[in-house]
Amino acid sequence: MNYRSDQLLAPTSFGNQRPIRTWWLVVLLLLSATLFPSFVQAQGASSTTVKSSGTSAAKTNTGATKNADPKPVAAGPLVKSYGSASAPIRMDVFTDYQCPSCRNFYESSLRQLIASDYVTSGKVYLVHHDFPLRAHMYSGLAARWANAAARVGEFPEVEAALYENQDAWGASGDIPKYVAAAMPAADFKRMETLVKSCESPPPTSSWDHGDPLANDSHPCAFDYAVRDDIELGYKVPVQATPTYVITYKGQKLPAGSGIVSWPILKQFFDSLLAQQ
Amino acid sequence: MSNHRTSVPSEHKKWGKGLLLLGRVALGIVFIVAAYMKMRPQPAMAWSLASIETSLSMFAMGVDSYQILPPWAVSLVAHGLPPFELILGLWLLTGVALRASSLVAALMICGFFLAMTSAYRRGLTISCGCFGPGEQIGPKRLIEEGLMLLPLALAVCIGAFLLSKPRTPLGDATPSTSPVES
Repeated sequence: MNYRSDQLLAPTSFGNQRPIRTWWLVVLLLLSATLFPSFVQAQGASSTTVKSSGTSAAKTNTGATKNADPKPVAAGPLVKSYGSASAPIRMDVFTDYQCPSCRNFYESSLRQLIASDYVTSGKVYLVHHDFPLRAHMYSGLAARWANAAARVGEFPEVEAALYENQDAWGASGDIPKYVAAAMPAADFKRMETLVKSCESPPPTSSWDHGDPLANDSHPCAFDYAVRDDIELGYKVPVQATPTYVITYKGQKLPAGSGIVSWPILKQFFDSLLAQQ
Repeated sequence: MSNHRTSVPSEHKKWGKGLLLLGRVALGIVFIVAAYMKMRPQPAMAWSLASIETSLSMFAMGVDSYQILPPWAVSLVAHGLPPFELILGLWLLTGVALRASSLVAALMICGFFLAMTSAYRRGLTISCGCFGPGEQIGPKRLIEEGLMLLPLALAVCIGAFLLSKPRTPLGDATPSTSPVES
């Protein structure tokens, strides 16, 4: 007892100081353990606030980080597919609206597939994915318009219009002109309002597989869908457009790229459907 | 002296024939592997005529992406090439009529190399299809084909014409002049 009071009240030697220092250390450790997580949390919150400053849509998306799965404002069915999801064959196609090979693939093969019995009778489910390449000046913007069209249920018409007039808007950048011609005026007005709210440049894919929205402090609502498509493409991996992945009864086949003519694609579907 | 003169070419021929054997076996294996990779069933499919047909149809999509042949020819090539590669590989392994088999092999590899170079020059970023799906045409693939397979095929072909004897169904066309050549 005396010994202890001596230690606390009159620390005269190093040996006597040790217990007091140990106590301070314990207190400091406890304090830091309590305060450090709160500090980190506060830092994180402030950084997301900076990122998400802008529209209310972006604010609710908490910064558009790569791992977050934001659900944009005006979220609704964004249908970019043809046929029944329960079809035995699923074909995922990654394209760029400004890529000439993608146009050829669409015109020589996909258009026939979409109109064919394979899609209409539920044998093939065709899913479109955007993979705008950085080398093409307007492909990201075209993807944004196509996604907006998907939101208002006009995707097939806009996809066809974009490919049919690729040379024209590819030179001028006047995408709305050709989109407007492909749909009723009322639908185009709705779409235009949605797209006009987008101020940032549209996302594009990059060779380093970086987050397409990483440098975008003000992402547009449709850009999340494009971003998701691009990131899915990175996983394939898409090395060029068009790239397609065919899945048969849940079994993914090796990805293919380039143009495939309709008779050859049809022959492949027939051979798959002939499997037991 | 005369014995010495005749023994040196014989030694060279021995080495040449050994190298030719190695070359044709390697080339034969390359063709057999290429055929197998194109014909083998896709994942989760068992070996059957239907699954082989699916694999060949998938190969047809790869051939079509070269944009060289019309669809009917694409289908013909895609269904005919892998079995032919298998036969050619076995033919090279047996060494029967080596001049003919090596010439066919060299011509085929020249054709593949030209097709790939053409696709690359046209800016097509497509799957090579050489050993099944998934292999992109690019500088790496062209170097592999141009610096390994093509020289191998040409060397086997030249070696076959220099070192092996032409054969006829009834036997050797030229009489043997030394025990090494037999």
